[in-house]
Amino acid sequence: MQKIIVCLKRVVDYNVRIRVKPDGSGVVTEGLKMSINPFDEIALEEALRLREKGQAQEVVAVSIGPEDVQQQLRTALAMGADRAILVQTSAELEPLAAARILHKIVLSEQPGLVLLGKQAIDDDCNQTGQMLAALWDRPQATFASKLELKGTVATVTREVDAGLEVIEVDLPAVVTSDLRLNEPRYVKLPEIMKAKKKTIDVVAIDSLGVDAAPVLRVTRYDTPPVRSKGGMVKTVDELVTALRDRGLLA
Amino acid sequence: MGPGGYLTAQTDLRGYLTEWRGLYSGTTPCVLLPSTTGQVAEILRLCARHRIGVVPQGGNTGLVGGAIPHSTEARPQVLVSARRLDRIRSIDAEDFSITAEAGCLLATLQAAASEAGRLFPLSLAAEGSCQLGGNISTNAGGTAVLRFGTMRDLVLGLEVVLPDGRILDGLRSLRKDNTGYDLKQLFIGAEGTLGFVTAATCKLFPQPSSVVTAWVTLPSVAAAISLYGAARDHLGDDLTAFEFASQFTVELVLKNIPGTRAPLDNPGPWNLLMEVSTPRTDSGLEARVQDFLATMQDGNRIIDGVVAVNRAQRDALWHLRHSMSEAQKLEGASIKHDVSVPVARMEDFLADATAAVGSMVTGVRVVAFGHLGDGNVHFNLSQPQDSDGAAFLARWDEISHRVHEVAVSFGGSFSAEHGIGALKVAELAHWRSGLPLELMRAIKFALDPLGIMNPGKLFRAE
Repeated sequence: MQKIIVCLKRVVDYNVRIRVKPDGSGVVTEGLKMSINPFDEIALEEALRLREKGQAQEVVAVSIGPEDVQQQLRTALAMGADRAILVQTSAELEPLAAARILHKIVLSEQPGLVLLGKQAIDDDCNQTGQMLAALWDRPQATFASKLELKGTVATVTREVDAGLEVIEVDLPAVVTSDLRLNEPRYVKLPEIMKAKKKTIDVVAIDSLGVDAAPVLRVTRYDTPPVRSKGGMVKTVDELVTALRDRGLLA
Repeated sequence: MGPGGYLTAQTDLRGYLTEWRGLYSGTTPCVLLPSTTGQVAEILRLCARHRIGVVPQGGNTGLVGGAIPHSTEARPQVLVSARRLDRIRSIDAEDFSITAEAGCLLATLQAAASEAGRLFPLSLAAEGSCQLGGNISTNAGGTAVLRFGTMRDLVLGLEVVLPDGRILDGLRSLRKDNTGYDLKQLFIGAEGTLGFVTAATCKLFPQPSSVVTAWVTLPSVAAAISLYGAARDHLGDDLTAFEFASQFTVELVLKNIPGTRAPLDNPGPWNLLMEVSTPRTDSGLEARVQDFLATMQDGNRIIDGVVAVNRAQRDALWHLRHSMSEAQKLEGASIKHDVSVPVARMEDFLADATAAVGSMVTGVRVVAFGHLGDGNVHFNLSQPQDSDGAAFLARWDEISHRVHEVAVSFGGSFSAEHGIGALKVAELAHWRSGLPLELMRAIKFALDPLGIMNPGKLFRAE
C-alpha cells in the first residue's frame, strides 16, 4: 500500500507519578516528562516494520495538541516516520473530537491503513480508534497483538478476554495496537539528526471545520484511596481469627 | 533484646553468614538485631567487658568479606545486624537534609527523598538491599559519584556507638562546622572497625526534572576518554553519569539476564552509558545532548548511539548497566578487581593489565566495566571456558597482586570503592606499609584498644 497513518498522543510518561492538583481540577502536568503514549509508540513501530518489509511506502505520524507536541513528533520522525502532521490546538480534546479531526486528516491523506494505540494511558478512554473507524465507515480491528497484510486484507490477532481471536478485515481499516504487538526500537543518533530535516506540517484546528467542543463535564479529580497497611500474624490460629473477625471466613 | 532481637538457630543464621558471591562464609553463635541505638550501646558495652568480637552488618551486599564473622571458641564474635534500625527519623526539605538509621535500605532513602521533592543521589546496583550504615562504613560510590561524590561527600553528621558503648552524637546537618578534628570522617569508610554507625544525617539535592540518557558505542577507551572531556566541557555539571563497559561484558548481560536486548545493532568494542540531568525544566536538554553526540559521531569519536525516548527505555539501559555483576556471576568463578587510575591513564591500564593476566592464565576472560568518569574500573576476570573454577580461584592472590601492581604503576589505587574487608588485608599491608599503616593502627588503638570491632578486617587479627 501507499501510505500508513499512525496517530500519536502526547501523555505524561508512564513512569512518572501522577499528582492531583490540590483543588481537584485536574492533574499536575507542568514540568513532567512527556512521552508518546506507549500504545501509540507500538503502533508506530508496527507501521515502520511494515514499511521495512516493503508492504507500505510511507508512514505519516499525526498528532493533535499544543506546539510542544512537535517534540514527540520529532521522536516519531527519528524512529523512522517519513513526515508528520500536527493539528495544533491548546484545548483538551475528548475522544470524539480527536476522532473527528483524525477523520479529516484521513480523508485528505487517503491511507491504506490507520494504526493507533488501543488507548491512551492518561484518560484510558479506549474510544478514538473505534470512533474513527465509524466516522470513516471502514472496518476496525482493536487490541491487535499480531498484524499481517496480504493484498487488500489484514489478518489481525486480537487479545480478548477469552484468549486470542483472529479476524480478517478489508483494507483500508483502523487497527489499534495492544502491548504485545512488538517492542519499539531505540532511536539511533543518525536517525535523530535526519529527523531534524523532516517536515512537520502544522494545521490549525479551525481550518478543519470540525466540532471539537467538549460534551463531558469533569466535576472533580481525586487520588484513589490509599491501601491500608497489612498486618503480620504469627500463627495459623491468629490468621483464622483475623479472617473471622473481618467476616471473610465463616 | 526482646522478641525478634536475636537469632541463634543455625538455619536462621545462614543468610547472615554467607556473602552473596559465595566466597565468604563465617561462623557465629548468634546474630543480634538491635532496634535502638541504646540497644547497640548495651551490646557493645557487654562485648567489651567480655572481650567478644563485634561484626557489624548492613544489607550483606559487600564483595570483600567485610561483614562476615569468624568466631572461634577462644575468640567469639557476634554479628550485629542493622536490619531493625530502619527508621527515617526526619526529613527537612528546606534544609536539604535527611536523618535516618543505619538499617534503612538505600532504595527507601531514595524514595523518601523523592516523596519530599528531593534527591538522595547515591545509586548503585545493590540499592534494593544495601543499607545506609553499610554505605557509610564502606564509603560507597556507585553511578552518581561524578556529579555528587561518594558517600563521604553526602554525610553531614553521624551517630556512632563507640567500642566501649558510649554514644557519639554528631547528628548535625551543618554545612559549616569547623570545630577541631572532623570526627565523623573517621567512621566513614572504616568498615566497622572503629565503632557502630547507628544513624546519619545526609545531604539532599534538588530533584532532576529533565533527564537524558544515552547509550553509545565506541571504537576504543581512548575515544571514550576524549568524549568524556568534551562532554564535561559541553554539558558542565549536568553530566551526571559516565559509565563504560566492554562489549564482552554487555554480551554476557544479553546472554545471561532474561528480558534484556541490545540497544544497537552495530556494536563496537566499548559501550558507554551517559546521563545528563538538571533540576531545571529544560526542554532543550535532549536536543543539546543529541547535537553534542552527533558532532562526536561526525568526528568519529563514537560509532553509534541511542537516546532513550521515555522512562521505560531509560530504565532498560540502566538495567543493562546494573546487571553486569549478576551476569558475570553466572559465568562461573570470577576474580574481581576494583581499581582506580587517573581517567587519562585508563586505556593504558586496561591494555597492560589485560596483557598481564593473559600471560598468567591462558583463556582468561576479562570482564571490564565501571565508572569511567571516576577513573574506576571493575577489572574482573572470569575463569577460562570449560576450566576448573577452583584451580582458577586458587591463584587469586597472585593474579590480583599483579593487577594491583599495574594499577599502582599508573598512579592508581588497588581498592577504589569496594573496600578492604578480609579480601585485601595483605594488599593494604603491602601498598600502605610504613607511615600510613602506622597511623591507621594508631587510630584503631585509640578508639578500640581491646580490638573488638570487626576483627581481622582492614588489618590482620592480633
